[in-house]
Amino acid sequence: MNPIEVNNLHKIFQTKRKAAGLAGSMRSLIKPEYSSTEAVRDLSFQMEAGELLGFIGPNGAGKSTTIKMLTGILHPSSGDAKVLGFTPWKERQKLAYQIGTVFGQRPQLWYHLPAMDTFILFGKIYELDDRETKKRIDYLTEAFEIKDLLDVPVRKLSLGQRMRCEVAASFLHRPKLLLLDEPSIGLDVVAKQNIRDAIKRMNQEEGVGVLLTSHDAGDLEALCKRVIIVNHGQIVYEDKVSNLKRKFLTNKMVEVRYAQEVAKDFSIAGVEILKVGHYGVKLKFDTAKTQVDSVISHLSSAGDIVDITISDPPLEEVIARIYQEANK
Amino acid sequence: MKHFAKYWSIFQITLLNSLAYPGEMVGRSLMIIPFMWIFYQLWKVTFSTAGADVISGLTLRDTLWYLMLAETIELSRPPLARTMSENVKDGSIAYILNKPYDFMLYQFSAAMGETIFRALVNAIFGGLTVWWLVGAPNHPEGFIIALPAIFGAWFLQFCLNAMIGLSAFVVEDVSAFTWIYQKLAFIFGGMLIPLNFYPQWLQTFAKMLPFSSAMYGPVYLSVAPSRELFISVMTLQLAWITALTILLIIIYRRGLTQLTVNGG
Repeated sequence: MNPIEVNNLHKIFQTKRKAAGLAGSMRSLIKPEYSSTEAVRDLSFQMEAGELLGFIGPNGAGKSTTIKMLTGILHPSSGDAKVLGFTPWKERQKLAYQIGTVFGQRPQLWYHLPAMDTFILFGKIYELDDRETKKRIDYLTEAFEIKDLLDVPVRKLSLGQRMRCEVAASFLHRPKLLLLDEPSIGLDVVAKQNIRDAIKRMNQEEGVGVLLTSHDAGDLEALCKRVIIVNHGQIVYEDKVSNLKRKFLTNKMVEVRYAQEVAKDFSIAGVEILKVGHYGVKLKFDTAKTQVDSVISHLSSAGDIVDITISDPPLEEVIARIYQEANK
Repeated sequence: MKHFAKYWSIFQITLLNSLAYPGEMVGRSLMIIPFMWIFYQLWKVTFSTAGADVISGLTLRDTLWYLMLAETIELSRPPLARTMSENVKDGSIAYILNKPYDFMLYQFSAAMGETIFRALVNAIFGGLTVWWLVGAPNHPEGFIIALPAIFGAWFLQFCLNAMIGLSAFVVEDVSAFTWIYQKLAFIFGGMLIPLNFYPQWLQTFAKMLPFSSAMYGPVYLSVAPSRELFISVMTLQLAWITALTILLIIIYRRGLTQLTVNGG
Protein backbone atom coordinates (compact mmCIF):
# COMPACT_ATOMS: atom_id res chain seq x y z
CA MET A 1 0.00 0.00 0.00
CA ASN A 2 1.35 3.40 -0.96
CA PRO A 3 1.37 5.85 1.97
CA ILE A 4 -0.27 8.49 -0.21
CA GLU A 5 -2.84 7.82 -2.95
CA VAL A 6 -4.55 10.89 -4.39
CA ASN A 7 -7.27 10.60 -7.02
CA ASN A 8 -8.88 13.53 -8.81
CA LEU A 9 -8.69 15.79 -5.78
CA HIS A 10 -10.46 19.11 -6.26
CA LYS A 11 -10.80 22.10 -3.94
CA ILE A 12 -12.81 25.21 -4.67
CA PHE A 13 -12.81 28.17 -2.28
CA GLN A 14 -15.60 30.74 -2.24
CA THR A 15 -14.11 34.20 -1.90
CA LYS A 16 -16.24 37.22 -0.99
CA ARG A 17 -15.85 40.10 -3.46
CA LYS A 18 -16.31 43.72 -2.47
CA ALA A 19 -15.92 46.90 -4.47
CA ALA A 20 -13.79 49.65 -2.91
CA GLY A 21 -15.26 52.37 -0.70
CA LEU A 22 -18.31 52.75 1.53
CA ALA A 23 -20.81 52.14 -1.29
CA GLY A 24 -19.06 48.88 -2.11
CA SER A 25 -19.18 47.83 1.55
CA MET A 26 -22.90 48.59 1.80
CA ARG A 27 -23.64 46.76 -1.46
CA SER A 28 -21.65 43.78 -0.23
CA LEU A 29 -23.63 43.79 3.02
CA ILE A 30 -27.00 43.72 1.27
CA LYS A 31 -26.07 41.50 -1.63
CA PRO A 32 -22.80 39.70 -1.04
CA GLU A 33 -21.01 38.49 -4.13
CA TYR A 34 -18.75 35.50 -4.20
CA SER A 35 -16.28 34.23 -6.72
CA SER A 36 -14.91 30.71 -6.91
CA THR A 37 -11.20 29.99 -6.81
CA GLU A 38 -10.02 26.57 -7.87
CA ALA A 39 -7.08 26.03 -5.53
CA VAL A 40 -6.59 22.38 -6.53
CA ARG A 41 -7.78 20.95 -9.84
CA ASP A 42 -8.17 17.28 -10.51
CA LEU A 43 -4.97 16.31 -8.74
CA SER A 44 -3.83 12.67 -8.85
CA PHE A 45 -0.53 11.22 -7.65
CA GLN A 46 1.00 8.49 -5.50
CA MET A 47 3.88 8.40 -3.08
CA GLU A 48 5.87 5.27 -2.26
CA ALA A 49 6.89 4.10 1.21
CA GLY A 50 10.01 5.85 2.52
CA GLU A 51 10.11 8.15 -0.50
CA LEU A 52 11.31 11.75 -0.36
CA LEU A 53 8.87 13.44 -2.70
CA GLY A 54 9.12 17.08 -3.65
CA PHE A 55 5.82 18.88 -4.21
CA ILE A 56 6.76 22.26 -5.49
CA GLY A 57 5.32 25.22 -7.26
CA PRO A 58 5.13 29.01 -7.06
CA ASN A 59 3.04 30.89 -4.49
CA GLY A 60 -0.67 30.17 -4.87
CA ALA A 61 -0.08 26.93 -6.80
CA GLY A 62 -2.20 24.87 -4.39
CA LYS A 63 0.60 23.12 -2.49
CA SER A 64 -0.48 24.11 1.01
CA THR A 65 -4.14 23.43 0.26
CA THR A 66 -3.19 19.93 -0.88
CA ILE A 67 -1.17 19.31 2.31
CA LYS A 68 -4.07 20.55 4.43
CA MET A 69 -6.42 18.16 2.66
CA LEU A 70 -3.93 15.31 3.14
CA THR A 71 -3.80 16.03 6.88
CA GLY A 72 -7.60 16.19 7.07
CA ILE A 73 -7.86 19.85 8.05
CA LEU A 74 -9.63 20.82 4.83
CA HIS A 75 -12.42 18.88 3.15
CA PRO A 76 -12.03 18.56 -0.62
CA SER A 77 -14.79 19.74 -2.94
CA SER A 78 -14.52 16.41 -4.76
CA GLY A 79 -12.10 13.56 -5.31
CA ASP A 80 -10.53 11.04 -3.00
CA ALA A 81 -7.30 10.55 -1.07
CA LYS A 82 -5.89 7.86 1.17
CA VAL A 83 -3.02 8.64 3.53
CA LEU A 84 -1.59 5.53 5.26
CA GLY A 85 -4.91 3.87 4.47
CA PHE A 86 -7.04 6.59 6.09
CA THR A 87 -9.35 9.07 4.44
CA PRO A 88 -7.84 12.16 6.08
CA TRP A 89 -10.93 14.38 6.44
CA LYS A 90 -12.99 11.46 7.81
CA GLU A 91 -10.35 9.90 10.09
CA ARG A 92 -8.28 12.94 11.00
CA GLN A 93 -7.53 11.93 14.61
CA LYS A 94 -6.51 8.34 13.79
CA LEU A 95 -4.28 9.62 11.01
CA ALA A 96 -2.74 12.25 13.29
CA TYR A 97 -1.02 9.52 15.37
CA GLN A 98 0.82 8.31 12.24
CA ILE A 99 1.91 11.53 10.58
CA GLY A 100 4.00 14.56 11.45
CA THR A 101 3.51 18.01 10.01
CA VAL A 102 5.49 21.21 9.79
CA PHE A 103 3.94 24.37 8.42
CA GLY A 104 6.97 26.60 7.95
CA GLN A 105 5.10 29.84 8.39
CA ARG A 106 3.19 28.80 11.52
CA PRO A 107 4.81 27.92 14.83
CA GLN A 108 3.66 24.82 16.71
CA LEU A 109 6.01 25.36 19.66
CA TRP A 110 4.62 27.35 22.59
CA TYR A 111 6.10 30.78 22.04
CA HIS A 112 6.75 31.89 25.62
CA LEU A 113 7.97 28.53 26.91
CA PRO A 114 11.16 26.54 26.29
CA ALA A 115 10.84 24.05 23.41
CA MET A 116 11.32 21.23 25.93
CA ASP A 117 7.85 21.98 27.39
CA THR A 118 6.26 21.49 23.95
CA PHE A 119 8.23 18.27 23.42
CA ILE A 120 6.91 16.89 26.72
CA LEU A 121 3.38 18.03 25.86
CA PHE A 122 3.60 16.29 22.47
CA GLY A 123 4.74 13.12 24.27
CA LYS A 124 1.48 13.24 26.23
CA ILE A 125 -0.65 14.17 23.21
CA TYR A 126 0.75 11.26 21.18
CA GLU A 127 0.34 9.01 24.26
CA LEU A 128 4.00 8.02 24.65
CA ASP A 129 5.38 6.73 27.96
CA ASP A 130 7.44 9.31 29.85
CA ARG A 131 10.55 7.12 29.50
CA GLU A 132 9.97 6.72 25.77
CA THR A 133 9.47 10.49 25.39
CA LYS A 134 12.74 11.16 27.18
CA LYS A 135 14.64 8.65 25.05
CA ARG A 136 13.17 10.14 21.92
CA ILE A 137 14.00 13.70 22.95
CA ASP A 138 17.61 12.61 23.60
CA TYR A 139 17.83 11.07 20.14
CA LEU A 140 16.28 14.08 18.35
CA THR A 141 18.43 16.49 20.37
CA GLU A 142 21.49 14.81 18.93
CA ALA A 143 20.12 14.39 15.39
CA PHE A 144 19.03 18.03 15.11
CA GLU A 145 21.86 19.49 17.25
CA ILE A 146 19.44 21.33 19.53
CA LYS A 147 20.80 20.38 22.96
CA ASP A 148 21.52 23.98 23.94
CA LEU A 149 18.26 25.30 22.54
CA LEU A 150 15.69 23.21 24.38
CA ASP A 151 15.73 25.17 27.64
CA VAL A 152 15.52 28.61 26.00
CA PRO A 153 12.07 30.25 25.59
CA VAL A 154 11.13 29.81 21.92
CA ARG A 155 10.68 33.57 21.44
CA LYS A 156 14.40 34.03 22.12
CA LEU A 157 15.53 31.59 19.37
CA SER A 158 16.56 32.68 15.88
CA LEU A 159 14.32 31.55 13.01
CA GLY A 160 16.81 28.86 11.99
CA GLN A 161 17.10 27.53 15.55
CA ARG A 162 13.34 27.59 15.98
CA MET A 163 12.76 25.70 12.74
CA ARG A 164 15.22 22.97 13.78
CA CYS A 165 13.20 22.56 16.99
CA GLU A 166 9.90 22.67 15.04
CA VAL A 167 10.97 19.89 12.67
CA ALA A 168 12.47 17.83 15.51
CA ALA A 169 9.18 18.11 17.46
CA SER A 170 7.27 16.71 14.49
CA PHE A 171 9.43 13.54 14.62
CA LEU A 172 8.80 12.93 18.33
CA HIS A 173 6.08 10.27 17.90
CA ARG A 174 7.97 8.33 15.19
CA PRO A 175 5.61 9.27 12.35
CA LYS A 176 5.50 7.01 9.31
CA LEU A 177 5.02 10.02 7.09
CA LEU A 178 6.10 13.63 7.42
CA LEU A 179 4.34 16.43 5.56
CA LEU A 180 6.54 19.49 5.39
CA ASP A 181 5.00 22.70 4.11
CA GLU A 182 7.74 25.21 3.25
CA PRO A 183 10.10 24.20 6.08
CA SER A 184 12.95 26.35 4.76
CA ILE A 185 11.03 29.56 4.16
CA GLY A 186 12.94 32.64 5.32
CA LEU A 187 16.02 30.67 6.42
CA ASP A 188 19.61 31.50 5.52
CA VAL A 189 21.81 29.06 3.60
CA VAL A 190 23.37 27.43 6.69
CA ALA A 191 20.05 27.00 8.50
CA LYS A 192 18.49 25.50 5.36
CA GLN A 193 21.35 23.01 5.06
CA ASN A 194 21.04 22.00 8.75
CA ILE A 195 17.35 21.25 8.34
CA ARG A 196 17.89 19.36 5.09
CA ASP A 197 20.66 17.22 6.64
CA ALA A 198 18.50 16.33 9.64
CA ILE A 199 15.49 15.40 7.47
CA LYS A 200 17.69 13.24 5.25
CA ARG A 201 19.09 11.47 8.31
CA MET A 202 15.61 10.74 9.70
CA ASN A 203 14.56 9.39 6.32
CA GLN A 204 17.57 7.07 6.15
CA GLU A 205 17.53 5.92 9.79
CA GLU A 206 13.78 5.57 10.36
CA GLY A 207 12.47 5.13 6.83
CA VAL A 208 9.97 7.93 7.28
CA GLY A 209 8.43 9.10 4.02
CA VAL A 210 8.60 12.83 3.41
CA LEU A 211 6.33 14.95 1.26
CA LEU A 212 7.94 18.34 1.00
CA THR A 213 6.41 21.47 -0.44
CA SER A 214 8.64 24.37 -1.23
CA HIS A 215 9.08 27.14 -3.72
CA ASP A 216 12.83 26.74 -3.39
CA ALA A 217 14.33 24.47 -6.04
CA GLY A 218 17.36 24.04 -3.75
CA ASP A 219 15.28 22.02 -1.23
CA LEU A 220 14.35 19.72 -4.02
CA GLU A 221 17.89 19.17 -5.30
CA ALA A 222 19.20 18.54 -1.80
CA LEU A 223 16.48 16.22 -0.56
CA CYS A 224 14.19 14.62 -3.10
CA LYS A 225 14.43 11.76 -5.57
CA ARG A 226 11.19 12.53 -7.34
CA VAL A 227 9.36 15.76 -7.93
CA ILE A 228 5.87 16.91 -8.73
CA ILE A 229 5.54 20.50 -9.91
CA VAL A 230 2.13 22.12 -9.57
CA ASN A 231 0.88 25.37 -10.94
CA HIS A 232 -2.65 26.80 -10.74
CA GLY A 233 -3.68 23.68 -8.80
CA GLN A 234 -2.61 21.23 -11.50
CA ILE A 235 0.38 18.97 -12.02
CA VAL A 236 2.57 20.42 -14.74
CA TYR A 237 5.54 18.08 -14.33
CA GLU A 238 6.25 14.75 -12.60
CA ASP A 239 9.62 13.03 -12.90
CA LYS A 240 12.89 12.17 -11.17
CA VAL A 241 14.78 15.15 -9.79
CA SER A 242 17.84 14.08 -11.80
CA ASN A 243 15.82 14.42 -15.01
CA LEU A 244 14.42 17.78 -13.96
CA LYS A 245 17.93 19.01 -13.22
CA ARG A 246 19.22 17.80 -16.55
CA LYS A 247 16.35 19.31 -18.51
CA PHE A 248 15.32 22.44 -16.66
CA LEU A 249 17.62 23.30 -13.75
CA THR A 250 20.65 23.91 -15.92
CA ASN A 251 20.79 27.64 -15.30
CA LYS A 252 22.57 29.18 -12.34
CA MET A 253 22.61 32.77 -11.22
CA VAL A 254 25.68 34.33 -9.64
CA GLU A 255 25.61 37.63 -7.80
CA VAL A 256 28.89 39.18 -6.67
CA ARG A 257 29.64 42.24 -4.52
CA TYR A 258 33.13 43.77 -4.53
CA ALA A 259 35.06 45.61 -1.82
CA GLN A 260 35.83 48.46 -4.18
CA GLU A 261 34.51 49.98 -7.38
CA VAL A 262 35.26 47.78 -10.39
CA ALA A 263 35.38 48.71 -14.06
CA LYS A 264 35.75 45.39 -15.78
CA ASP A 265 33.98 44.10 -18.84
CA PHE A 266 32.07 41.11 -17.50
CA SER A 267 31.15 39.71 -20.90
CA ILE A 268 31.88 35.99 -21.19
CA ALA A 269 30.67 33.78 -23.98
CA GLY A 270 27.40 32.04 -23.03
CA VAL A 271 26.83 34.22 -19.96
CA GLU A 272 23.96 36.65 -19.70
CA ILE A 273 24.51 39.82 -17.66
CA LEU A 274 21.35 40.51 -15.67
CA LYS A 275 22.52 43.53 -13.69
CA VAL A 276 25.76 45.47 -13.45
CA GLY A 277 26.72 48.23 -11.02
CA HIS A 278 29.87 49.96 -9.74
CA TYR A 279 30.28 47.50 -6.87
CA GLY A 280 28.75 44.31 -8.23
CA VAL A 281 27.27 42.25 -11.01
CA LYS A 282 24.59 39.60 -11.47
CA LEU A 283 25.01 36.94 -14.15
CA LYS A 284 23.08 33.97 -15.46
CA PHE A 285 24.51 31.03 -17.37
CA ASP A 286 23.80 27.49 -18.49
CA THR A 287 25.98 25.02 -16.55
CA ALA A 288 25.80 22.56 -19.44
CA LYS A 289 27.57 25.08 -21.69
CA THR A 290 29.66 27.16 -19.30
CA GLN A 291 31.58 25.80 -16.32
CA VAL A 292 30.88 27.35 -12.92
CA ASP A 293 34.58 27.63 -11.99
CA SER A 294 35.45 29.52 -15.17
CA VAL A 295 32.75 32.10 -14.38
CA ILE A 296 33.92 32.40 -10.76
CA SER A 297 37.57 32.83 -11.70
CA HIS A 298 36.60 35.50 -14.26
CA LEU A 299 34.62 37.35 -11.60
CA SER A 300 37.31 37.06 -8.92
CA SER A 301 39.90 38.53 -11.27
CA ALA A 302 37.91 41.79 -11.31
CA GLY A 303 38.55 42.68 -7.65
CA ASP A 304 38.22 41.60 -4.01
CA ILE A 305 34.92 39.80 -3.55
CA VAL A 306 33.11 40.55 -0.26
CA ASP A 307 29.96 38.56 -0.99
CA ILE A 308 28.89 35.94 -3.51
CA THR A 309 25.56 34.15 -3.99
CA ILE A 310 24.96 31.25 -6.37
CA SER A 311 21.27 30.43 -6.78
CA ASP A 312 18.86 28.50 -8.93
CA PRO A 313 16.46 30.34 -11.20
CA PRO A 314 13.08 31.04 -9.58
CA LEU A 315 10.53 28.24 -9.98
CA GLU A 316 8.33 30.50 -12.09
CA GLU A 317 11.10 30.46 -14.69
CA VAL A 318 11.43 26.65 -14.52
CA ILE A 319 7.67 26.30 -14.97
CA ALA A 320 7.73 28.70 -17.93
CA ARG A 321 10.41 26.50 -19.51
CA ILE A 322 8.34 23.36 -18.85
CA TYR A 323 5.39 24.99 -20.63
CA GLN A 324 7.64 26.02 -23.52
CA GLU A 325 8.92 22.44 -23.87
CA ALA A 326 5.37 21.08 -23.79
CA ASN A 327 4.28 23.47 -26.53
CA LYS A 328 7.16 22.59 -28.84
CA MET B 1 -5.80 7.05 31.26
CA LYS B 2 -3.23 8.28 28.72
CA HIS B 3 -6.15 9.63 26.73
CA PHE B 4 -7.12 12.00 29.55
CA ALA B 5 -3.53 12.75 30.62
CA LYS B 6 -3.10 14.75 27.39
CA TYR B 7 -5.87 17.18 28.38
CA TRP B 8 -4.32 17.61 31.83
CA SER B 9 -0.99 18.39 30.10
CA ILE B 10 -2.69 20.92 27.82
CA PHE B 11 -4.22 22.55 30.91
CA GLN B 12 -0.79 22.64 32.58
CA ILE B 13 1.09 24.10 29.62
CA THR B 14 -1.53 26.82 29.10
CA LEU B 15 -1.28 27.67 32.78
CA LEU B 16 2.53 27.87 32.49
CA ASN B 17 2.23 29.97 29.35
CA SER B 18 -0.14 32.39 31.10
CA LEU B 19 2.52 32.83 33.80
CA ALA B 20 5.17 33.91 31.29
CA TYR B 21 4.55 37.55 32.21
CA PRO B 22 3.26 37.42 35.82
CA GLY B 23 3.67 41.16 36.38
CA GLU B 24 1.38 41.97 33.46
CA MET B 25 -1.23 39.49 34.69
CA VAL B 26 -1.21 40.79 38.25
CA GLY B 27 -1.32 44.39 36.96
CA ARG B 28 -4.40 43.60 34.90
CA SER B 29 -6.05 41.93 37.86
CA LEU B 30 -5.69 45.13 39.90
CA MET B 31 -8.54 46.51 37.75
CA ILE B 32 -10.99 44.69 40.00
CA ILE B 33 -10.11 47.07 42.87
CA PRO B 34 -11.55 50.28 41.28
CA PHE B 35 -14.49 48.24 39.92
CA MET B 36 -15.39 47.13 43.44
CA TRP B 37 -14.98 50.62 44.83
CA ILE B 38 -17.33 52.04 42.15
CA PHE B 39 -19.89 49.27 42.81
CA TYR B 40 -19.67 50.03 46.54
CA GLN B 41 -20.39 53.73 45.99
CA LEU B 42 -23.32 52.99 43.64
CA TRP B 43 -24.99 50.35 45.80
CA LYS B 44 -24.41 52.28 49.06
CA VAL B 45 -26.38 55.19 47.58
CA THR B 46 -29.07 52.80 46.29
CA PHE B 47 -29.56 51.11 49.68
CA SER B 48 -29.59 54.37 51.58
CA THR B 49 -32.03 55.97 49.10
CA ALA B 50 -34.33 52.96 49.45
CA GLY B 51 -33.98 53.30 53.23
CA ALA B 52 -33.70 49.52 53.57
CA ASP B 53 -31.04 47.16 54.83
CA VAL B 54 -32.29 44.35 52.63
CA ILE B 55 -33.51 44.64 49.03
CA SER B 56 -34.99 41.55 47.37
CA GLY B 57 -33.29 39.31 49.92
CA LEU B 58 -29.80 40.86 49.58
CA THR B 59 -27.95 43.17 51.97
CA LEU B 60 -25.34 45.67 50.79
CA ARG B 61 -22.67 43.23 51.99
CA ASP B 62 -24.26 40.31 50.04
CA THR B 63 -24.53 42.51 46.95
CA LEU B 64 -20.86 43.48 47.07
CA TRP B 65 -19.68 39.89 47.57
CA TYR B 66 -22.04 38.84 44.75
CA LEU B 67 -20.53 41.43 42.42
CA MET B 68 -16.99 40.49 43.44
CA LEU B 69 -17.54 36.86 42.45
CA ALA B 70 -19.36 37.83 39.24
CA GLU B 71 -16.48 40.11 38.22
CA THR B 72 -13.93 37.44 39.14
CA ILE B 73 -15.66 34.89 36.89
CA GLU B 74 -16.03 37.37 34.01
CA LEU B 75 -12.53 38.92 34.19
CA SER B 76 -10.84 35.50 34.42
CA ARG B 77 -12.52 34.13 31.30
CA PRO B 78 -10.08 34.00 28.34
CA PRO B 79 -11.18 35.66 25.06
CA LEU B 80 -11.88 32.25 23.51
CA ALA B 81 -14.05 33.41 20.59
CA ARG B 82 -11.50 36.04 19.58
CA THR B 83 -8.62 33.57 19.89
CA MET B 84 -10.39 31.00 17.71
CA SER B 85 -11.15 33.71 15.18
CA GLU B 86 -7.46 34.76 15.17
CA ASN B 87 -6.43 31.11 14.74
CA VAL B 88 -8.58 30.90 11.61
CA LYS B 89 -7.43 34.27 10.28
CA ASP B 90 -3.69 33.63 10.72
CA GLY B 91 -3.86 29.97 9.69
CA SER B 92 -2.54 28.55 12.99
CA ILE B 93 -5.77 26.52 13.23
CA ALA B 94 -3.93 24.08 10.92
CA TYR B 95 -1.65 23.02 13.79
CA ILE B 96 -4.37 22.93 16.42
CA LEU B 97 -6.59 20.70 14.30
CA ASN B 98 -4.04 18.15 13.18
CA LYS B 99 -3.11 16.61 16.52
CA PRO B 100 -4.65 13.43 17.96
CA TYR B 101 -7.01 14.97 20.48
CA ASP B 102 -10.58 16.14 20.56
CA PHE B 103 -10.48 19.74 19.35
CA MET B 104 -13.20 20.97 21.69
CA LEU B 105 -11.66 19.24 24.74
CA TYR B 106 -8.33 20.78 23.76
CA GLN B 107 -9.97 24.22 23.68
CA PHE B 108 -11.65 23.64 27.04
CA SER B 109 -8.45 22.42 28.72
CA ALA B 110 -6.53 25.39 27.33
CA ALA B 111 -9.28 27.83 28.38
CA MET B 112 -9.28 26.45 31.94
CA GLY B 113 -5.47 26.68 32.06
CA GLU B 114 -5.76 30.37 31.27
CA THR B 115 -8.65 30.88 33.68
CA ILE B 116 -7.54 29.32 36.97
CA PHE B 117 -4.61 31.53 37.95
CA ARG B 118 -6.33 34.70 36.79
CA ALA B 119 -9.41 33.74 38.82
CA LEU B 120 -7.29 33.17 41.91
CA VAL B 121 -5.54 36.55 41.60
CA ASN B 122 -8.81 38.38 40.84
CA ALA B 123 -10.54 36.69 43.79
CA ILE B 124 -7.71 37.69 46.15
CA PHE B 125 -7.65 41.36 45.07
CA GLY B 126 -11.44 41.61 44.75
CA GLY B 127 -12.06 39.73 48.01
CA LEU B 128 -9.63 41.87 50.04
CA THR B 129 -11.17 45.06 48.62
CA VAL B 130 -14.73 44.02 49.40
CA TRP B 131 -13.72 42.77 52.86
CA TRP B 132 -12.18 46.18 53.56
CA LEU B 133 -15.28 48.01 52.24
CA VAL B 134 -18.13 45.99 53.80
CA GLY B 135 -16.62 43.25 55.96
CA ALA B 136 -16.54 39.45 55.75
CA PRO B 137 -19.20 37.60 53.74
CA ASN B 138 -22.34 36.59 55.61
CA HIS B 139 -22.00 33.00 54.39
CA PRO B 140 -18.33 32.19 53.76
CA GLU B 141 -19.24 28.50 53.34
CA GLY B 142 -21.28 29.57 50.29
CA PHE B 143 -18.14 29.94 48.18
CA ILE B 144 -17.23 26.30 48.80
CA ILE B 145 -20.79 25.07 48.21
CA ALA B 146 -20.99 27.05 44.96
CA LEU B 147 -17.66 25.73 43.59
CA PRO B 148 -19.19 23.00 41.36
CA ALA B 149 -21.65 25.55 40.00
CA ILE B 150 -18.81 28.03 39.37
CA PHE B 151 -16.97 25.41 37.31
CA GLY B 152 -20.26 24.67 35.56
CA ALA B 153 -20.55 28.40 34.83
CA TRP B 154 -17.13 28.42 33.22
CA PHE B 155 -18.08 25.38 31.16
CA LEU B 156 -21.30 27.03 29.97
CA GLN B 157 -19.42 30.23 29.13
CA PHE B 158 -16.95 28.06 27.25
CA CYS B 159 -19.78 26.46 25.22
CA LEU B 160 -21.33 29.82 24.34
CA ASN B 161 -18.00 31.40 23.42
CA ALA B 162 -16.82 28.34 21.49
CA MET B 163 -20.00 28.50 19.39
CA ILE B 164 -19.20 32.11 18.54
CA GLY B 165 -15.56 31.11 17.92
CA LEU B 166 -16.62 28.30 15.59
CA SER B 167 -18.59 30.75 13.48
CA ALA B 168 -15.11 32.01 12.49
CA PHE B 169 -14.80 28.79 10.44
CA VAL B 170 -17.35 30.39 8.12
CA VAL B 171 -17.25 34.17 8.67
CA GLU B 172 -13.64 34.56 9.97
CA ASP B 173 -14.31 37.72 12.01
CA VAL B 174 -16.51 37.23 15.06
CA SER B 175 -16.16 40.57 16.87
CA ALA B 176 -19.81 41.55 16.20
CA PHE B 177 -21.11 38.30 17.71
CA THR B 178 -18.79 38.66 20.69
CA TRP B 179 -20.11 42.18 21.32
CA ILE B 180 -23.73 41.03 21.23
CA TYR B 181 -22.96 38.07 23.52
CA GLN B 182 -21.25 40.31 26.07
CA LYS B 183 -24.19 42.68 26.27
CA LEU B 184 -26.67 39.81 26.64
CA ALA B 185 -24.50 38.24 29.36
CA PHE B 186 -24.28 41.59 31.18
CA ILE B 187 -28.04 42.06 31.19
CA PHE B 188 -29.45 38.54 31.50
CA GLY B 189 -26.51 37.03 33.37
CA GLY B 190 -26.83 39.46 36.29
CA MET B 191 -23.27 40.64 35.99
CA LEU B 192 -23.81 44.29 36.90
CA ILE B 193 -27.15 44.01 38.72
CA PRO B 194 -28.22 40.80 40.51
CA LEU B 195 -31.34 39.42 38.81
CA ASN B 196 -33.19 39.66 42.20
CA PHE B 197 -33.46 43.42 41.64
CA TYR B 198 -35.26 43.06 38.26
CA PRO B 199 -39.07 43.26 37.94
CA GLN B 200 -40.63 39.84 38.48
CA TRP B 201 -41.50 39.19 34.80
CA LEU B 202 -37.95 40.04 33.66
CA GLN B 203 -36.47 37.94 36.46
CA THR B 204 -38.53 34.92 35.38
CA PHE B 205 -37.51 35.39 31.77
CA ALA B 206 -33.80 35.99 32.51
CA LYS B 207 -33.54 32.99 34.85
CA MET B 208 -34.66 30.67 32.05
CA LEU B 209 -31.77 31.70 29.78
CA PRO B 210 -28.33 30.04 29.77
CA PHE B 211 -26.67 33.37 30.71
CA SER B 212 -28.24 33.09 34.15
CA SER B 213 -26.85 29.55 34.66
CA ALA B 214 -23.48 30.80 33.46
CA MET B 215 -23.32 33.61 36.03
CA TYR B 216 -26.26 34.61 38.27
CA GLY B 217 -27.21 31.13 39.55
CA PRO B 218 -23.76 30.06 40.82
CA VAL B 219 -22.93 33.53 42.16
CA TYR B 220 -26.22 33.94 44.01
CA LEU B 221 -25.76 30.44 45.46
CA SER B 222 -22.44 31.57 46.96
CA VAL B 223 -24.01 34.50 48.85
CA ALA B 224 -27.30 32.77 49.81
CA PRO B 225 -26.40 29.09 50.05
CA SER B 226 -29.16 26.58 50.73
CA ARG B 227 -29.87 22.97 49.83
CA GLU B 228 -32.91 23.90 47.71
CA LEU B 229 -31.05 26.61 45.81
CA PHE B 230 -28.08 24.27 45.22
CA ILE B 231 -30.37 21.62 43.72
CA SER B 232 -32.29 24.07 41.52
CA VAL B 233 -29.13 25.89 40.30
CA MET B 234 -27.30 22.63 39.53
CA THR B 235 -30.31 21.03 37.84
CA LEU B 236 -30.89 23.97 35.52
CA GLN B 237 -27.17 24.28 34.85
CA LEU B 238 -26.80 20.58 33.99
CA ALA B 239 -29.75 20.85 31.60
CA TRP B 240 -28.09 23.79 29.83
CA ILE B 241 -24.70 22.06 29.83
CA THR B 242 -26.23 18.99 28.16
CA ALA B 243 -28.15 21.02 25.58
CA LEU B 244 -25.29 23.38 24.71
CA THR B 245 -22.69 20.58 24.55
CA ILE B 246 -24.81 18.70 22.02
CA LEU B 247 -25.36 21.90 20.04
CA LEU B 248 -21.65 22.71 20.16
CA ILE B 249 -20.70 19.28 18.80
CA ILE B 250 -23.19 19.65 15.95
CA ILE B 251 -21.93 23.16 15.08
CA TYR B 252 -18.30 21.98 15.27
CA ARG B 253 -18.91 19.06 12.89
CA ARG B 254 -20.70 21.31 10.42
CA GLY B 255 -18.07 24.04 10.78
CA LEU B 256 -15.24 21.65 9.93
CA THR B 257 -16.66 20.98 6.48
CA GLN B 258 -16.75 24.71 5.76
CA LEU B 259 -13.38 25.70 7.19
CA THR B 260 -11.12 27.83 5.04
CA VAL B 261 -7.55 28.06 6.30
CA ASN B 262 -5.84 31.27 5.28
CA GLY B 263 -2.41 31.13 3.75
CA GLY B 264 -3.12 28.21 1.43
